[in-house]
Amino acid sequence: MIPYLHYLPLAIFTLSAILSLSNKKIAYLFIVIGSIFFAFLQFRSENEITYFSLIVSIVWVLVGIYSLSYGERYGRWLPSLLSVTIIGMFLILTASNYVLFIVGWEVMSIPSYLIIAINKRDSPAAFTFMVFSELSTIFLIAGVLYAFSLSGFTTFTFTSLHSAIPLLLIGFGALIKMGMTPFLISEWLPIAHGSAPASASAIFSATMTVMGVYIIFRMIEISAGSPGLYYVGLIFLLIGGMSIFFASIYAYISENMKILGGFSTIENQAAILSAFGLFLISSDALLKQFVLVTIIIFTFSHSLSKTGLFLTVGNSSGEYFSEAKNKNSLFGKVGTMLSIISLSGLFPTIGGLAVWMLLESFFMQAFIGGYAGIVAIISGSIIAVSEGMVTGAMLKIFFFTNLFRKKEENPEKLQSFVVFFVGLAVVTLFAFSVLMIPQLFLSGIPSVLVFNGLMIESRFGVGDFGLISPDYVILLIAMFSLLTYGVFRKPKARISPAWNGGSPVSPPYTSFAYSGNIKIMLKKILRTKTDTYGRDLSVVDVFWSSMIIIGVNYRKACKLVTRGFMNSSVGWYMIYMIVAFMVVLLISVLFF
Amino acid sequence: MSNFWFLKGIKKGVKTEKFPYEQEESPPLWPSKISGSGKAECPTNAIENGKWNSEKCIFCRRCVPNYQPDGDQNLFDVSKGEKTFKRSFYVFPVDTGSCSGCNMEFFNIFSPQYDSSRLGIFMTNTPRHADALLVMGIMTDGMREALELAYEAMPEPKLVIGLGACALSGGILGTPPLPKDQYNIRISGCPPSPYTVLKALLKAKEGDDGLNEYSRSGTN
Amino acid sequence: MQWYKFGEPSGRYVGETAYHRITENMITEKTETLTEKYKELPGEFGFLYGPSTGGLLESVLFNIHTPGEVIKGIDVNPEVKLRKIIVNGLKPADALLRIERINAYHSASHSIAFCSAVEDALDIEVSETTRERRIAMIELERIRSNLEVIKRICEPAGFGVPYNQIAYLKEKISRIIGNLFDHRYMFSSNSIGFATLNFKDVSGELSDIRKDFSDIFDSLLQSKIFLNRLQNNGVIDTADLIGPAARAAGHNIDARIDSETLPYRDMNFKPAIFDEPDAFGRFYVRSMEVLDSIDLVMSIKLETQQEKSNDPKNSEGEGAARIESPQGDLFYYVKIFDGKIDHIELSSPSIPNINAFKKSMIGNIFTDFHFNWESFGIWISEAAVLFQ
Repeated sequence: MIPYLHYLPLAIFTLSAILSLSNKKIAYLFIVIGSIFFAFLQFRSENEITYFSLIVSIVWVLVGIYSLSYGERYGRWLPSLLSVTIIGMFLILTASNYVLFIVGWEVMSIPSYLIIAINKRDSPAAFTFMVFSELSTIFLIAGVLYAFSLSGFTTFTFTSLHSAIPLLLIGFGALIKMGMTPFLISEWLPIAHGSAPASASAIFSATMTVMGVYIIFRMIEISAGSPGLYYVGLIFLLIGGMSIFFASIYAYISENMKILGGFSTIENQAAILSAFGLFLISSDALLKQFVLVTIIIFTFSHSLSKTGLFLTVGNSSGEYFSEAKNKNSLFGKVGTMLSIISLSGLFPTIGGLAVWMLLESFFMQAFIGGYAGIVAIISGSIIAVSEGMVTGAMLKIFFFTNLFRKKEENPEKLQSFVVFFVGLAVVTLFAFSVLMIPQLFLSGIPSVLVFNGLMIESRFGVGDFGLISPDYVILLIAMFSLLTYGVFRKPKARISPAWNGGSPVSPPYTSFAYSGNIKIMLKKILRTKTDTYGRDLSVVDVFWSSMIIIGVNYRKACKLVTRGFMNSSVGWYMIYMIVAFMVVLLISVLFF
Repeated sequence: MSNFWFLKGIKKGVKTEKFPYEQEESPPLWPSKISGSGKAECPTNAIENGKWNSEKCIFCRRCVPNYQPDGDQNLFDVSKGEKTFKRSFYVFPVDTGSCSGCNMEFFNIFSPQYDSSRLGIFMTNTPRHADALLVMGIMTDGMREALELAYEAMPEPKLVIGLGACALSGGILGTPPLPKDQYNIRISGCPPSPYTVLKALLKAKEGDDGLNEYSRSGTN
Repeated sequence: MQWYKFGEPSGRYVGETAYHRITENMITEKTETLTEKYKELPGEFGFLYGPSTGGLLESVLFNIHTPGEVIKGIDVNPEVKLRKIIVNGLKPADALLRIERINAYHSASHSIAFCSAVEDALDIEVSETTRERRIAMIELERIRSNLEVIKRICEPAGFGVPYNQIAYLKEKISRIIGNLFDHRYMFSSNSIGFATLNFKDVSGELSDIRKDFSDIFDSLLQSKIFLNRLQNNGVIDTADLIGPAARAAGHNIDARIDSETLPYRDMNFKPAIFDEPDAFGRFYVRSMEVLDSIDLVMSIKLETQQEKSNDPKNSEGEGAARIESPQGDLFYYVKIFDGKIDHIELSSPSIPNINAFKKSMIGNIFTDFHFNWESFGIWISEAAVLFQ
């Protein structure tokens, strides 16, 4: 093997960042090529940790192709900054030591503030995003230093640890970046992700958050056997359970499509975090292995479908549901439909498999019993409820972008095609999901034509639990559809115009009304804020109001501290970025 | 006991009349068929040259005593019926600008005395379920679009019924909502009595060829 | 004008014509008042109901502003069936044919108010017999109208038995009217200066109806389900209420006691008053009025006796009259020149009722809508009329 070959993608991404100053299209093309190389060089089917590289490169490829159609919509800065963010993620995924990891984390984060700052001027989104990201960095550095001290101040490489503290600290840092701490569910992440162009939103939501999952995964691997992991698991389960529940509710009642996507991201991350929690509290070796596979599949499904969702939303004009207008395209519609099916955790998509595996894991643990079982049944139920709510939220996106509203003409073919491809991918991945699952969990029932290796079985120490055969599901759905078509042919429907009491048909049904049922059911928690005339303004909840008070004060304090050397003007971000880059370069040069 | 409505209902017994199997129990004098000769000071020109046109008549009694009503309720004309509706006939009423008289008399055919549901005549809340469109009142600007939409929304086969002088000829108040030949069933009266409405609807649902045992042929 | 003057408003509010505001004895020039339109907040939408759909007797368009369930505001547009009726330039007798057809269900109220206004303008003396006949006409009409309202309140509650029993009584009243006046809607029974009647003894039938209705009424009052749908629904108690809505709110307001047009005072009439300003109060007052009106009709001595109009003392002049229609005060103003109508104005009780309904509906939910709407007994055909 050629030495330094695995630095080739890095070179391509760097080239892309520079080239974008002269030609945006070539820059995007380089992102695509670099990502393909990256996937080929990193991915090993037998090594679980390399699946993360595969996941993010697929997203980068899709976003790169999608962005080719941007034309003059965004300036030259966008591909350049995206490339730098991708370089950061490249560093994180290839880092063999903590320092390179921290460097990658900063390289990934800094351009993202700038993307948001340039895209949404006069918006505090970029500022809050930066404050929280830097807060996460502080936790990461603290964790790294503790790990460094554990090694007797000798090495920064990822070596096995005998304490759960670095995991807890680095985990907290990652959770802040994933939008789950310090307030269980944080408003800033959806707003920040929603304030970027669609391609950047997809990169943030679908890959940047994966970095958090990756580092927790990595830390759990090297902290195996440390004392206190059980309690870290309980903390993760608590945060995950609360976050998933509220994120799904907020997603459901959200009025802004991109913010809904942001909340859905938190919801997915919280599900993954709960899986980590389960992994840590469980004492069943087989179940633990199943949970790890679940996490990989879940991350896969989240990243792909979320890319599809953000690209769909980017395809529609208007951020709010009330002004949503989608381009009229069958490909786009099918792609969106499949993406939201996947995000809702329904078959026949990879998301369906992921949610099935997650719930199976929790219920297996519940079956084993004990305190861990009680925790598992509670968490599992919360996750199940939330997944149901998410289905409603996802359908809301589909209805308001593709069904209810009038369509705009001239769909962008490339964009619809990418969305369609995402849809195709979530189904294809479902069909081939058996390839990602260890032989240990595969079997078959040849007597009903489910051949060996085509059926996934959830197993744990006690025995078998549940089973699903993705290909069988697809086959059955296809067969019954064809059968129905064969028997009935095209539906013989008589189309008569809709009747709206004699008024012209223009149903101004709002998404606010769509989520009215939840608002009424949870009216003890969710309060409709009214103005002095007793008219509705917005929906707030009891917890949220108190969190907002803490958040506002926290932000005020941050502002006070940072006002001296930084304000929210773009120029200062530039300076901050250049200075930070110089520091990063300096560290790298010194270290290697 | 006071809330056992079911028992209260049974206690009252059957209040429905034998009509249409027997004669009307209480036919009103106005409107009913008018005959006579001589001059008449008619505000709607329903009597011209001694000939009486029921569709223009608003039954204002100005032609009395030269002309007299005879209590005959057959004031309708069915130019097209539909046998498909023999067992169930759903009617969707559209009020394009009525004085509410026709509305009331149409709704009255569902009151216990007439109980048209037993004869397979029902009202529906949407034209998409309707077999017939029942138009009442004169044309008004605001209802023009609604009338067109309602007609479009109805499935085939469909009938159009004109109820009352306003719908048929504009009466004394304005212009009719549809031209005369667009109505398959024309029911005269100002407003038509429930007996007339019921008879016309019965004939319409039996179709063109043949009448069943109860509905007598309409004249005019 | 015997009973009305132009000038500053005095006494209680009665209604509005196209150009004037009417109070107890005064006709006042209308000052331009802009009606405030409801502005939807983010997340709210307008739910269109009507103009032609189930649950509506007449064509009317509602735009219900709501974020989902609570009604934040409501627009009522009766003008979808706005009829332009040509009356100006006609002889009063010809105009009467059109006035009767403004609202057939209340043609007696309209024709009597109009005739009284014309009689006031031309100074025609009206016989006591005619005046009593007119009271009988209005009261019979009131019985039927109130029965219709109560019937329609029973309908959304799913009370099929009382619904049909009241429909039966209502049809019986229609037949009594048909027997007495030869027409079920009293068209052409009333003329300028006199009213025709074809006497038949109906007191037996009326007392049967009274007994049947008071049975139904008592049972409805004992039905918790029924009362729950009505009580605290559509609460409104403002100074510009008229008719049953005002009497339900405890105001002793009735054109039968404060208008001189018809001799109710000689009959020692006292209106039914209640103290709950909600849909239940309106239901209660209307039910009591059914019973009171039957008593009133039975107390009038009706005879078949050909009446003739007295000669008019003037050939031109202005006249105004107000009577209590089943919905409230109904007011007509006419100006006659050279024996022909020169100008005519109508203050229909349905318009103040629509305004009251709009106010009372705010804060209620969709399921309350029909009960509240029906309890006001609003008739679109008399609210959407333009004289030309």
